[in-house]
Amino acid sequence: MASGAMQPIMQVPELTKSQAFLKRLEGLPDGAKVRDCIQCGMCVGVCPHGSAMEFPPRRVIAALRADRLDDVYRSESVWMCVSCYNCSYRCPSGIPLSDRLLAMIRVDLLMAGVGVPKELQTAFERTTRYGNPFGESAKKRDAWTKEAGVKVRVLKPGDSADVLWHVGCFPSYNKANLKDTVALARLLTALGVDFGIMGADEWCSGDLPCTAVGEEGLFSLLHEHNSGQFADRSFGEILVGDPHAYNALHQEYPRLGTAYPVSHYTQFLEERIPELSKGMKKRLDVKVTYHDACCLGRRNGEYEAPRAVLETIPGVKLTEMPRNKENSLCCGGGGGAMWLDSYIWERTRTPLPILRVQEAAKTGSDVLAVSCPLEVPRFEDAIKTAGLEGRLRVREVSHMLAEAMGLVGGV
Amino acid sequence: MKVAVVLRQVPDVVEELVIAEDGRNLSEDDVRYVTNELDDCALEQALVLKGRRGARVTAFGVGGIEARDALATSVAKGADEAVFVPLDFAERGDSHRLAAHLATPLREGAYDLVLTGVQAPDEVDGSLGAILASSLGMPHVGGLVAADVDANGPKAVVRKEFAGGRCGVMEIALPAVLGIQAAEQPPRYVPVSKVMQIKKTLQAREMTAPVPEVRGTRIAKLSKPETGAKAKMLEGDAGAVATAIAGLLKERGLL
Repeated sequence: MASGAMQPIMQVPELTKSQAFLKRLEGLPDGAKVRDCIQCGMCVGVCPHGSAMEFPPRRVIAALRADRLDDVYRSESVWMCVSCYNCSYRCPSGIPLSDRLLAMIRVDLLMAGVGVPKELQTAFERTTRYGNPFGESAKKRDAWTKEAGVKVRVLKPGDSADVLWHVGCFPSYNKANLKDTVALARLLTALGVDFGIMGADEWCSGDLPCTAVGEEGLFSLLHEHNSGQFADRSFGEILVGDPHAYNALHQEYPRLGTAYPVSHYTQFLEERIPELSKGMKKRLDVKVTYHDACCLGRRNGEYEAPRAVLETIPGVKLTEMPRNKENSLCCGGGGGAMWLDSYIWERTRTPLPILRVQEAAKTGSDVLAVSCPLEVPRFEDAIKTAGLEGRLRVREVSHMLAEAMGLVGGV
Repeated sequence: MKVAVVLRQVPDVVEELVIAEDGRNLSEDDVRYVTNELDDCALEQALVLKGRRGARVTAFGVGGIEARDALATSVAKGADEAVFVPLDFAERGDSHRLAAHLATPLREGAYDLVLTGVQAPDEVDGSLGAILASSLGMPHVGGLVAADVDANGPKAVVRKEFAGGRCGVMEIALPAVLGIQAAEQPPRYVPVSKVMQIKKTLQAREMTAPVPEVRGTRIAKLSKPETGAKAKMLEGDAGAVATAIAGLLKERGLL
């Protein structure tokens, strides 16, 4: 070597793929906690599909530490996650496993265009184009209001209302949910709430098909659109019917600079229990068990509001399934899994919605009450498959309340 | 090898189609455009050829401003070059005119293969691919579900679908125009952030030549399909319904 040539004192090593991944993860909220993983395996044990995953969260972290990220990329495990937040909730180190670690793997696979299930691609493409995963025209988003039987104001830019109701995609378009959407509109009207919706200007909140699924660019697009629409109208608070929308607006939008007071409809109604009680006209005389939606319960800690409003209904006897509240079993539809039922079933052979309706039936309940629009079609199908028709019914809390208040005539 | 793909913007039938006041076209204000689904399949097939044979893919985006978005998406998916072909609203949906317009750049580009979707919802005067092949003096085969090029000679090997679930394998001399009915795999997904990135930097060549005064057809009148006689529902239990069906068949002399 020529004398006098400058030699670096210490080579700065380039980051390996796994190290670069960890560095990016550490830049996300609570992402740095990944360093604290003690490899206890709690995440695997509580995961409803953990036994079928080649790379459950614990092994993902082990692989990252062993610089074997490519093994994780090659595995299909990450698409089996249903974003039930059991792993994140139970992790003793508080690592955001569902919506940061696993979501980041999905982000990378999506960017590389490798191994992404086709069904999910379709949902993404439709949401990008139409603002809803069904591929329906945005103009038809408020078509349900024609059948509502009460006046539902569609707020135009410049309009104002006390409450802005972000209705959501399933409640706006999906046939099995429309009766519950109408029921909620009638409840709000009966309670004298000054509310309005955004009609065609409302797009998917982004939580269901995006955040935990890794389509960050699409999430940003939806957030940008919705926050722009919010800014064009004046209102005191936002009301949502879907726990996934609640998660997006409560957890993710503030992170991106859009912070409004937001409540799930069960929380909104819980604040109005005296008025609800006064309006009760009919005894329902049913034994009810309530299924905690993951995004409302484990993810956002709301267990009491839905139960409290159910208890205002005369004749409702509330009973619990053995797995309730923070131990609730996921319906299997979160984290994009609503579009991946066949994909997941082929790889796990664990029919989560069927297991859940069987648990509900074992309590001897007549009604499985839910507060998430996805659960209505999921559990209705599961009840048929499990042969429980005639023994168990799935019902939205809103619809039960509206019935007890004599508001569901015609729906 | 050079492959060209034509990506047409066509009316999105998810939205309601409104007929314009002149009764001869759709109302421009009410139309929302989408990339022709089968052209998207043609792009996918071109990208498959890129992956397999190292083809250089050029996308021709036809239509209004939306065509630029389609080009950004095609580049994000892997197309090497983008050409924007602006076409006024009134001039769309005429395959003869579009073929005459595209013939020059396609000839000058010396492409080995030109891929189009086998049909588009707004083409009223026949398939663009066949007319294009005639303008270019190239052979054409449509209704394809796969295409490859032969490493040993200037020819493509294609699979064409026939009725009854039969498939034919054919050879076609290059250069050629292919009408794609389905790509060998579903069109790939490209994340929104990647498309956004490309949109910011995309330098699409723009075709400035005037659209030739060629016309394949003239629309005299456009109307919505008329509702015919409604179906009659037979009521009652299985026995009553069966008797009613038998009665109807006898009445019409079918029994």
